[in-house]
Amino acid sequence: MSTQLLIAALVAGSVYALIALGLNLVYGTMRLINVAHGEVVMIGAYVAYWGISLLSVGPLISAFAAMPVAMALGAAIYFGIFRRAMQSAEFMERIEGNSLLVFFGVSVILQNVASLLFTPNQRGYRYQDEIVHVIGATVPVNKLIVLAIAAAVCVAAVLFFRRSTLGLAIKALMQQREASALVGIPLTHIELASLCLGFATAALAGVLVSMTEEISPFMGFPLTVTAFVVVILGGLGNVLGSLIGGLILGVLETFGVALTGPSYRSIMIYAVFIAVLLLRPQGLLGAGRSRT
Amino acid sequence: MMARIGRAASAVTAVALLAIALPVVANSYVVGVCFTLLVWIALTESWIVISGMTGYISLGHVVFVGVGAYVAALTWLALPIWLILPLAGLTAAALAMLVGYPCLRVRGPYFVILTFGLSELVKYIVVNIESALTVSGRVLFGAPGVETLYLIALALAWVSVILALIVRESRFGAALRAIRENEEAAETIGVAIGKFKAAAFVLSSIVPGMVGALLIMRSTYFEPLEAFNPQTSVLIVTMAVIGGSDRPFGPMLGVVFLVLLQELLWTNLPQLYMIVVGALLVAVVIWLPGGIYGRIQRMATAAAR
Amino acid sequence: MFKSLATSIAGLGLALANANGAFAADPVKIGFSLPLTGIFAPAAPSQKNAYELWREQVNAKGGLDVAGTKRMVEFVSYDDQSDPGQAVKIYEKLITQDKVDLLLGPWGTPHHFAVAGVLERYKFPMVGDTAASVQLRDLKPGYIWFPTSALPDEQGKQLPLLLKSLGVKTVAITTAQHPFALENKKFIVEGLKANGIEVVSNAEYPLDIRDMTALISSLKQANPDAELSLSMTGDSVLYTRQAKELGFTPRVQFVLVGPAATFFTKIFGNQVDGLLTMGHWSPSQTKWPKAKPFYDAYVAKYGEPPDYLDSALSYEACEITEQAVAKAGLDHEKLRQTIASETFDTIDGPVKFNGVVNATTPTMFLQYRNGVFEIIWPKSEATASVMTK
Repeated sequence: MSTQLLIAALVAGSVYALIALGLNLVYGTMRLINVAHGEVVMIGAYVAYWGISLLSVGPLISAFAAMPVAMALGAAIYFGIFRRAMQSAEFMERIEGNSLLVFFGVSVILQNVASLLFTPNQRGYRYQDEIVHVIGATVPVNKLIVLAIAAAVCVAAVLFFRRSTLGLAIKALMQQREASALVGIPLTHIELASLCLGFATAALAGVLVSMTEEISPFMGFPLTVTAFVVVILGGLGNVLGSLIGGLILGVLETFGVALTGPSYRSIMIYAVFIAVLLLRPQGLLGAGRSRT
Repeated sequence: MMARIGRAASAVTAVALLAIALPVVANSYVVGVCFTLLVWIALTESWIVISGMTGYISLGHVVFVGVGAYVAALTWLALPIWLILPLAGLTAAALAMLVGYPCLRVRGPYFVILTFGLSELVKYIVVNIESALTVSGRVLFGAPGVETLYLIALALAWVSVILALIVRESRFGAALRAIRENEEAAETIGVAIGKFKAAAFVLSSIVPGMVGALLIMRSTYFEPLEAFNPQTSVLIVTMAVIGGSDRPFGPMLGVVFLVLLQELLWTNLPQLYMIVVGALLVAVVIWLPGGIYGRIQRMATAAAR
Repeated sequence: MFKSLATSIAGLGLALANANGAFAADPVKIGFSLPLTGIFAPAAPSQKNAYELWREQVNAKGGLDVAGTKRMVEFVSYDDQSDPGQAVKIYEKLITQDKVDLLLGPWGTPHHFAVAGVLERYKFPMVGDTAASVQLRDLKPGYIWFPTSALPDEQGKQLPLLLKSLGVKTVAITTAQHPFALENKKFIVEGLKANGIEVVSNAEYPLDIRDMTALISSLKQANPDAELSLSMTGDSVLYTRQAKELGFTPRVQFVLVGPAATFFTKIFGNQVDGLLTMGHWSPSQTKWPKAKPFYDAYVAKYGEPPDYLDSALSYEACEITEQAVAKAGLDHEKLRQTIASETFDTIDGPVKFNGVVNATTPTMFLQYRNGVFEIIWPKSEATASVMTK
């Protein structure tokens, strides 16, 4: 049973980590609270669904269509909505609250447009769902694929932020915004890049999710909530933290539930969430006290 | 301060007194629509006492509504309505007192997410309690008609607006605003920020608790997933922001605007209503930071010049 | 010359219209609300489709027979946003502003409860549909009726009998923390005890659960003869998928809410052959001559099978209303008496109400076989004999 739970924890945790990664990226660089993150995941999921249903194209290939779509959406939101607003000091003062509301409006629009276009019903497709046996546990192949890809992207992300120029620039922006501008880091370009990267990872997560679960226009909101739980656990703005947070949530969802019983699943998750928020709001890996 | 409150309060009271006559002249449907308006006014005006004044945006205000609804559902057969309502409000206030102090130490976006998490936590606790009691949904037989409920809603809306006015114009409100502008500075000059924030939080919970009791009398059915629906929290924030969350009269505008919009768009694509609301929210936050009320104020001052 | 030609054509047209007997009478306005947005939005289409299909069919016949006169049917409908409070407002609007002639039900039990109060107040009779709770029995008989036979207390009595007939000795139950699921669990557990069937595992879970690995792994360890997944739509899908992934395949599998809906079988197809679920309608029932034509008409119009619960019940409500109006016209009191006393001929067989509930249709269970749900219990109503592994 434990191997079974471990695999489930890893699969779930890696997807949560991937989703939270994008959220963290966007918050860390621009302090935008993207509550529409789940809807970007939803868009990725639908691209994959229509890819396989209409064009018989596998989700792994559809991912290469989903990510650009999401990036285009991110760019549109950046230029269309935030660019102008972020020039006003009044707006920037309460940027977190304002972005929360703006992204909330965006999420409502995306959900209802999807509902209008695709009907609110759940949809699903079958992809690589043959069962294989791994160390005494049974797993469908698609879950292993999801785990492999999500884990690979997460590892790549960590390396990206430590090694690559763009990654370091983004990290600089996250840590010291004014100083970065002073040393010549082009803020607009970096902000745009991180927003697009954040959206792209969300869309990729959506493609992965669609391989193992049913999708619907309203699937986004619970995933956004999950992403926030992960981000809080690991620390807002902390990329490595979101990986750890994702795994912790995956473990809670599987081993935690096995321990306390399924009826307390949501109580347990929210209780842990609130406890971390109250006792260590900067997250388990975050440093310093929470600042407004 | 008293003079300023006095003028606004008299205006509000006059309107409220007039509104008492509504059930006599209008049919049940109109009364029902006004009931909805008043309920949302009561909720949003209470919300700004904490979120508008202190800047601590609560995204979990439905928890007070749900708690009030639960109290009403539990005591429905045992107590008369005029006892149930204040009991619902007090229970909500008790919850606010219990969680307010620790929760309000958390700042900014963390507070937002925390209130949401809290509301969900309480929701699932109630779900488990109900299932442990082997109760699956509670029906409230013999609830009063919409005319009576309307009058109660009118009273609650009046209370919430007056409360918002008083808080805003009082020294208490000034302290809250100071907290919103710069919490550390306020602390330095001696404002007991913890106590003030907690007090505002408690004040903002009482009317929503009573509204919760009122709402399930209207729908005659209590079910925790419905009563603690996070969408209510989100709508409160949306209406308050669109109307203008800085002034007591702002949220009222937001409520009226959105409810009327819904009446207009109802017969057409209903998803369109939601899309329009979403677009409005984006537009208001980006281009109308003070909400509709703020814009009107600005136009008024510009015209006066 | 053209003028006289036009007049003659007009006169001819009028004569033809009169010859058909249909004097252009006012249409009959029928009002209802559905959750077109909000958390119950996925459930609305199956009910809306049934209503629309009925309207199309009635209008094709020349209109609704109102005590002798045929009048076309027009719908006046609104979105209640999945909120029972909104439903109350809408039905008040329908009655007082839109002044509809008839009403049809909203979706879901809480909405029906909410609307019952409005109906009582305005003394407006309405045949409900998509609601099922024992608390329905507590409603004062008056202006609302429920054709469902899937009431939890009856299901709690019948399901154990079905299981017993299959030789089931041990049962595992998983229940979603939702009123309908919990209500069913209460009665089913009682019924199992009364029939000497052992409950080896009895777990609940919240509706927002995302992973059932721990839950299903413990079910595997309990190794029951039968598993009862008292789940609601979303978690039914999750359970069905994860049970298969984890290799949990009990001899008998029952899923409460979900399989009867169109999208469920679209997702799983023959992977769920043999699955048992609640329901009391099947197109295979030859005792009910209207059943298969309804199924065929629905498939022809919408390209997919109807929801065996919601679509069937909604259509039945329309049929009952139609037959009652043919007898009693649109007068509320006469209509009420007719609905309360007559026996109606529906796609689900004969329906007669005793108080608010359906007294003639027995509680049944369905099994998925080759793309269609067959009735497999009770034996007297079965369209196929139950198949187990």
